[in-house]
Amino acid sequence: MPSPLALLYGLLGITIVLLVLILARPSITVSIGGKILAFLAFCALPVLCGVWGLSEHFERSKQTSFCLSCHIMGSYGRSLYVDDMNHIPAAHFQNHRIPADEACYTCHTDYAMYGTIGVKLHGLRHVYVQYLGTAMNPIHLYEPFNNRECLHCHEGARSFEDDTHTPMMDMLKSNQLSCISSGCHDTVHNIDALGKFKQWSPAN
Amino acid sequence: MGIPRAFRISGVLLVLGLCTEAISLRWVHPLAFIAFFVIGGAFLAAGVLLFLYSLVGMRPARDTHDSGGN
Repeated sequence: MPSPLALLYGLLGITIVLLVLILARPSITVSIGGKILAFLAFCALPVLCGVWGLSEHFERSKQTSFCLSCHIMGSYGRSLYVDDMNHIPAAHFQNHRIPADEACYTCHTDYAMYGTIGVKLHGLRHVYVQYLGTAMNPIHLYEPFNNRECLHCHEGARSFEDDTHTPMMDMLKSNQLSCISSGCHDTVHNIDALGKFKQWSPAN
Repeated sequence: MGIPRAFRISGVLLVLGLCTEAISLRWVHPLAFIAFFVIGGAFLAAGVLLFLYSLVGMRPARDTHDSGGN
């Protein structure tokens, strides 16, 4: 079975060939069948290609390499390779507790393109400041980190729902107590101290 | 038989939009997304809208026969 991307390329190719054919031989649109073909080539297929392409680009923007392609994100990418399991993102990334190729998106599900219109505009602004403006330094989240990102995996897990976490579950769910900034798991992307730690190198 | 000018322009815009989409899909990069969304999307939207507009503005073929017959 061909991949979705190969199918999309195939559809793009077919649509372009149909368009060129109709432009070169307009007489084929005289018949009813030709008119239907012209409608497909000039309207239905381009719209389908556009929607499919947008969906494909959205899926790609979940990839870790997409996020790290901006220069300012480089140190955050390196923080995933810190050889110290007290660093929460590094421990999750290196042990594949999150998908390594979608590491950023897994814990930041409402960031850049993944959320409301306002959040999408933030994503477009990121591209603008990357190439034409000046990025904030240091960069920071627009809103405090939401415990939901932790709980969508940890909630219900035997190792998590223990005597430590169960009594505070309501406060965690309502974000009154933060998983990462209330003194419990507070070593996250510690990029200022990145040079002090050895970098883990995955074995090939 | 000739092809209305609006159809030709629409076809060219659509081909440009589809080519932009095909090229942008080669990279996993924010600029590829922007190229797809802004450039490709503009070409595709303009092409489809121009095609639909030209359909609405097209005179039915039988008008010519009717006026010729009367």
